[in-house]
Amino acid sequence: MADILFIALAFFAITGAIAMLVYRSPMFSALGLLITMLSVAGMFALLNATLLFMVQIIVYAGAIMALILFILMFLNIKEEDLPKEPKKFMLIGFGAILMIPLNILVLKAVSNLPNKDLTPIESDFGTIKPVGLILYNEWIIAFELISILLLIALVGSVVLAKRRKTKITSKED
Amino acid sequence: MITLSSYAFVSMILFSIGAIGVIARRNIFVIYMSLELMLNGVNLFLVTFARYHFNIEPQIISIMVISIAAAEAAIFLSIVILLFRSKKSLDTDLFTSLSQGEKR
Repeated sequence: MADILFIALAFFAITGAIAMLVYRSPMFSALGLLITMLSVAGMFALLNATLLFMVQIIVYAGAIMALILFILMFLNIKEEDLPKEPKKFMLIGFGAILMIPLNILVLKAVSNLPNKDLTPIESDFGTIKPVGLILYNEWIIAFELISILLLIALVGSVVLAKRRKTKITSKED
Repeated sequence: MITLSSYAFVSMILFSIGAIGVIARRNIFVIYMSLELMLNGVNLFLVTFARYHFNIEPQIISIMVISIAAAEAAIFLSIVILLFRSKKSLDTDLFTSLSQGEKR
């Protein structure tokens, strides 16, 4: 059962990623990425990471993708605003050739590790209690730093959005 | 049977497609989404190793990665709105204000 689920999720994840790569309109790219995010969330669930499954769906597929889709609709992008990409598929092929050595290296390194069954098990590994205990006991400084980082991002985006009239004055100085 | 190699294969494919998107596309939204895809591939690798070693710390690192990506999304999208207002395009080749100064 888990095998079939894994194969289906992998298929959807890779198809969504390829759709993101080749579509010209950014709206269709965002929808392809959404499929990939949801499939990756399903893979987290197969790996017993139930808290991360929820976080991936709520934060990535919910918040970030909704923000991207909202901005895409807000900007009202027309056909002439999109960049012309005449050599897109040639560059994609070039990039694929460029990434092959890294892939072979990593897969070779991973295949040397001892084989272990990764099917889901009945335990509380990855639920919110053990994750929260380790997060608040051993990673508390990183957690606080991330809260400061989110605050800075909030202030920064408000500042960037408010400067509308200062565009011309910067030429003089 | 699903093993470590199959999860590694999927996450490497996702990471590679993200890197190819950064190399090959010129639309700034697609470049940003490719960056997110690379982060997702790395997250999948981390969670796979968390399950493999039965250790919870990689999951904590991926929670950190997800929250940093949220902060990055806020900043990036406001910068894109500013750039789109001044240049009326999504082409990354036009966004040269930092390297060559403002051209009018």
